[in-house]
Amino acid sequence: MKVRTVEYFIREAIVSLKRNGLMSIASVSTVALSMLILGLFLVMVLNLNHMASVLESQVQISVYLQDNLSDREMREVGTKITKLPGVTMVTFVGKEEAMTRFKQRLGEQQGLLSALGDTNPLPNGFEVKVDKPEMVKPTAQAIAQFKGIETTKFGQEVVEHLFSLTKMVRWFGVLLILFLALAALFIISNTIRITVFARRKEIGIMKYVGATDWFIRWPFLIEGVILGLGGALIAVFLLAEAYGMLTSKVYESLAFLPLIPRSPFIANISGLLLVLGAMIGALGSTISLRRFMKV
Amino acid sequence: MTDVSKVYSNGSVALSDVSVNIAEGDFVFVVGPSGAGKSTFIKLIFREEWPTNGQIIVNGRNITELSLREVPFLRRGLGIVFQDYRLLPNKSVHENVAFAMEVIEAPRREIQKRVNHVLELVGLRDLARNLPSELSGGEQQRVAIARAIVNKPRVVIADEPTGNLDPDTSWEIMKIFEKINEDGTTLVMATHDKTVVDAMKRRVIAIEKGRIVRDEAIGVYGYEG
Ligand SMILES: Nc1ncnc2c1ncn2[C@@H]1O[C@H](COP(=O)(O)OP(=O)(O)OP(=O)(O)O)[C@@H](O)[C@H]1O
Ligand SMILES: [Mg+2]
Repeated sequence: MKVRTVEYFIREAIVSLKRNGLMSIASVSTVALSMLILGLFLVMVLNLNHMASVLESQVQISVYLQDNLSDREMREVGTKITKLPGVTMVTFVGKEEAMTRFKQRLGEQQGLLSALGDTNPLPNGFEVKVDKPEMVKPTAQAIAQFKGIETTKFGQEVVEHLFSLTKMVRWFGVLLILFLALAALFIISNTIRITVFARRKEIGIMKYVGATDWFIRWPFLIEGVILGLGGALIAVFLLAEAYGMLTSKVYESLAFLPLIPRSPFIANISGLLLVLGAMIGALGSTISLRRFMKV
Repeated sequence: MTDVSKVYSNGSVALSDVSVNIAEGDFVFVVGPSGAGKSTFIKLIFREEWPTNGQIIVNGRNITELSLREVPFLRRGLGIVFQDYRLLPNKSVHENVAFAMEVIEAPRREIQKRVNHVLELVGLRDLARNLPSELSGGEQQRVAIARAIVNKPRVVIADEPTGNLDPDTSWEIMKIFEKINEDGTTLVMATHDKTVVDAMKRRVIAIEKGRIVRDEAIGVYGYEG
């Protein structure tokens, strides 16, 4: 293919984009909207996944001791825990320490505690960390067997909740994205159909004078790809801005929330959206060409 | 063309068992009453329609065996002229003719040279910058002829090229066809135009109800109207 021919294709595509003004804008907007929602879902699902695995690796076991243990007995339990395989850190959390933390967590609602008076119902305990996430559960079970243990707890439930939430969001997202992608495909193929129709005479003449089908197709394909890519570009821009804002806000005020850093995460998602947009555009025009022009 | 039949999908029989041989450099009229199958005959040559039966050989190629991808290359060896000119309204005369070369990716210099040459041949050099809507019917048809021959086809086929024109203008068109034919291009023309056929004294193939009823080396129209 010659450079001049490529120029011709692109020129033709742009001319017809302009001629279709309103339809072009509608197509680009639809693609932008679907790509934006797709992007948002990707960002959300991937972040939830990320959070779940970060939390999982940080999970610690809370060990609560029976109330009647002497200091020596408590120390013995501590030593036994330290000797378990995989345990990396054991911290003693006394009743008072536990109460202080509890008050902190309640924040402004500390008033609720006044009902307790001077009594402290919280038990003595340990915080245990292990080296691998999968060691959490067996270690917790082993500790529960020791003498003098009231209960052991670990954050497994939170992690599992997060994972199942991710799964739900993912399914919902897949359905929505499928629907939106179809809508984008439909509107692009409709735009191209209008172009094809407006130029059916020209296409007919091209065929009579011996233009190949590919020669006839290219301008329409390019037009479709421009529509798809244009929409995806808008979505990518909005998404990058939004995520930038979100991450900086979260780092300021909710620093403990583990978000995926903006780069190269957003760049990767952008790449994906752009490729997808271009593909939807090309597919949309192919459908129209096949159905309405048999080229 | 050997034993060619064409039955349209709605069942109407346009041609049945037609066999003709048109030699290179011939000038042939295809005549016959309305609905006889003249247009179908033309359409079969450039593979607008598929024959239901039989073989068609154009420029040494059996076009019934042609795949869809090869059709454009068949058409590059043909020049096609229609009754209704089929020019692009938003392109100038020059651009309309150049278009036929652009879509087959001819070099730019070549396009410039050829377009000027064929516009000269049909006598339209001075109107090259005009739009088709600014031309008379005869002039528009000359543009269409220029476009048909700009890629140097070995065969020019025309379906009632003078159908919309008055006798004087038709005669000008025929003079151009004659010139093209003198350069060695085969010419096949379907027509209703009795005066033209009678005056040209060329080979005439008469079709009636899809069958060849007459094939004379120097023929006359032979029908009323
Ligand atoms: N696309 C088509 N589908 C079905 N039937 C067709 C089609 N084209 C032509 N026919 C039929 O085939 C027959 C021959 O038609 P054709 O157009 O070849 O005639 P013609 O000789 O060119 O007539 P005219 O002089 O009026 O142009 C007619 O009976 C017509 O109704
Ligand atoms: Mg006809």
